[in-house]
Amino acid sequence: MSTLKAVIMTDDAQTPAIRLRGVSKRFPGAKEDAVAAMDLDVDRGAIVALIGPSGCGKTTTLRMINRLIEPSAGTIEIEGRDVTNQPAMQLRRGIGYVIQQVGLFPHRTIAANIATVPRTLGWEKARIDDRVRQLAEVVGIDTAMLSRYPDELSGGQQQRVGVARALAADPPVLLMDEPFGAVDPIVRGRLQEELLDLQREVRKTIVLVTHDLDEAVKVADRIALLNVGGVVEQYASPDELLRAPANGFVEEFVGEDRSMRRLALATVGDLPFEPGPVIEVAADPAAGLAVIDEHRTDWLGLVDDEVFLGWVPRDQVAGGGALADAQRYLPAAQVAPSSTLRSALEVIMTSRTSVAVINDDGRFRGTVTLERIRGGLAGDLDGPAERAA
Amino acid sequence: MTAILAQRAVPRDTTLWEWFSDPMTWGGSDGILANLGDTVLLCAAVTLFAILVAVPPAAFLAHKGWGEVTSAWVVNIGRALPTFAVAAFLVPVSLRAGYGAEPWPIFIALVLLTIPPMYLSTYVAISQVDKAAVNAARAMGFSERAVLTTVELPLASTVIFTGLRVAAVQVVATEPIRAFLGGDGLGRYVRDGIGQNNATLTIGGTILIAALAGTTGLAFSAIERLVKPYGVRRLRSDRSPRTGDTDEQVGPLEDGEPAGSDAAGVGGLRQR
Repeated sequence: MSTLKAVIMTDDAQTPAIRLRGVSKRFPGAKEDAVAAMDLDVDRGAIVALIGPSGCGKTTTLRMINRLIEPSAGTIEIEGRDVTNQPAMQLRRGIGYVIQQVGLFPHRTIAANIATVPRTLGWEKARIDDRVRQLAEVVGIDTAMLSRYPDELSGGQQQRVGVARALAADPPVLLMDEPFGAVDPIVRGRLQEELLDLQREVRKTIVLVTHDLDEAVKVADRIALLNVGGVVEQYASPDELLRAPANGFVEEFVGEDRSMRRLALATVGDLPFEPGPVIEVAADPAAGLAVIDEHRTDWLGLVDDEVFLGWVPRDQVAGGGALADAQRYLPAAQVAPSSTLRSALEVIMTSRTSVAVINDDGRFRGTVTLERIRGGLAGDLDGPAERAA
Repeated sequence: MTAILAQRAVPRDTTLWEWFSDPMTWGGSDGILANLGDTVLLCAAVTLFAILVAVPPAAFLAHKGWGEVTSAWVVNIGRALPTFAVAAFLVPVSLRAGYGAEPWPIFIALVLLTIPPMYLSTYVAISQVDKAAVNAARAMGFSERAVLTTVELPLASTVIFTGLRVAAVQVVATEPIRAFLGGDGLGRYVRDGIGQNNATLTIGGTILIAALAGTTGLAFSAIERLVKPYGVRRLRSDRSPRTGDTDEQVGPLEDGEPAGSDAAGVGGLRQR
């Protein structure tokens, strides 16, 4: 039945998974709206990040979607259905929810925590057990841990269990309130990667609140930047937000290093192939000199059947001996196709040759220079198909 | 006064040992067992009644987050009430109303003594439950009732039980004033001992009262152990696994976890 439902939902592509229309919230006693007449569409299967300074109503907006906070005005629809049309409890059982503090039940085992919503929904025990094991695998929790208690797990593991618990009843929509705010940066990075991997697998519609622009840029397909009072200043893809801020507020929020942030969006592999000042080791030294001149550089790279051998300085090439005999330098200026442009830039800045070699598991895949990165910035960096949901 | 006259006289030179070992001391309508029964009955009635009166509203109000200031006031006023004076004041009231000198005045005074600590410990226990767990439960579609009964009460139970235990012990320790208000119970030995200048009776009575108070505390701990599921009980002790065999499993599991970096980082830091 759930498969059938899924098919119907995918076919109905025009309706956004979540639609906010004129949604306002004014808390009792407050003079100003916490959220003011917000319109927002979240496409099915997309990750949307709500970001903004404190007091911008991002968490309030999130909590209005599952009615932990009731809107003062406006309508919220999930899959085309007004959320106020059903009892709040029933609505919430169909929406995954992950919070920063995780909020696992400390008196229940990991398995029981994950099984929370299925149990509420009255699933049979065997089905619940299967689902729990399956989810433990999906989020990377050893099944031997299922009988443990939350305080026996690390912060990162707890947050994985939190995600598993939110996914237990396979809800189409997942709400995440600063899900990785409480873990250290290394674990946070890992969890973000895992979320993206997970999303490729489960394809949920995810609304994520964060105060970390880097996190939003990294995981979101679209970012809604909110200003104080719940005003959407810009709702765009990460690259568009960084490349073309809609106004002064956005520009200030994304910061002066927004070009640097954009570099984190694209990988070296996204750049078109370009060999750079490189030649086969068996080639004639004169041809090598021609390549050096063509690239206006002082170094020539030697390649032997897709293996990069090293750099030879110009005067050695000009000396006229066989290239294979020349003194080579093999600097560490190497990047993988999966490296971001940002890390490529870092490598280039510290390299003697101002060129980074793209090394794909030992295979030479061209070079990256400052000019090529600058060229990339001029274009659209949301490029890779997997990002466009 | 009739009660005192009806009692068997205990010679002043009787030692504690002789007194305690005399079967006559224990049996009969005015023996220790009968008085113990009186005391236990009254204390149990007071404790149960106070639990019923104090715990549900405290749990409900704390769950709602209501009445924090009011609660503090009620509790403070309740604490300021002198139990003996209240009971003594109620004796003529009760007599005039036709309910007799016993046991309503002492019952009411003890209930008033007991409600504030029970109420307070329950209120505090519930309001101190980890809000993240409560919010998560609500966000997953728990009814408010389920939030209270399946999350808040279990997590608060240790503190609540402690409050109940302390209050119950206090009831047992205070109940003997009943003997000075025309009743019996274990307090009569203290009263008679003082009245007859008989140290054996006084000390014997206090030993009995202290023993009952201690037993009450132990009984509550035993009940607590029986009532609380393992998941709740284990939270009370230190956070590391309890026995050696589980201890050994922690290391390999955390290390063998696929995302090695956080097992080594966060996990390693948190572990001990």
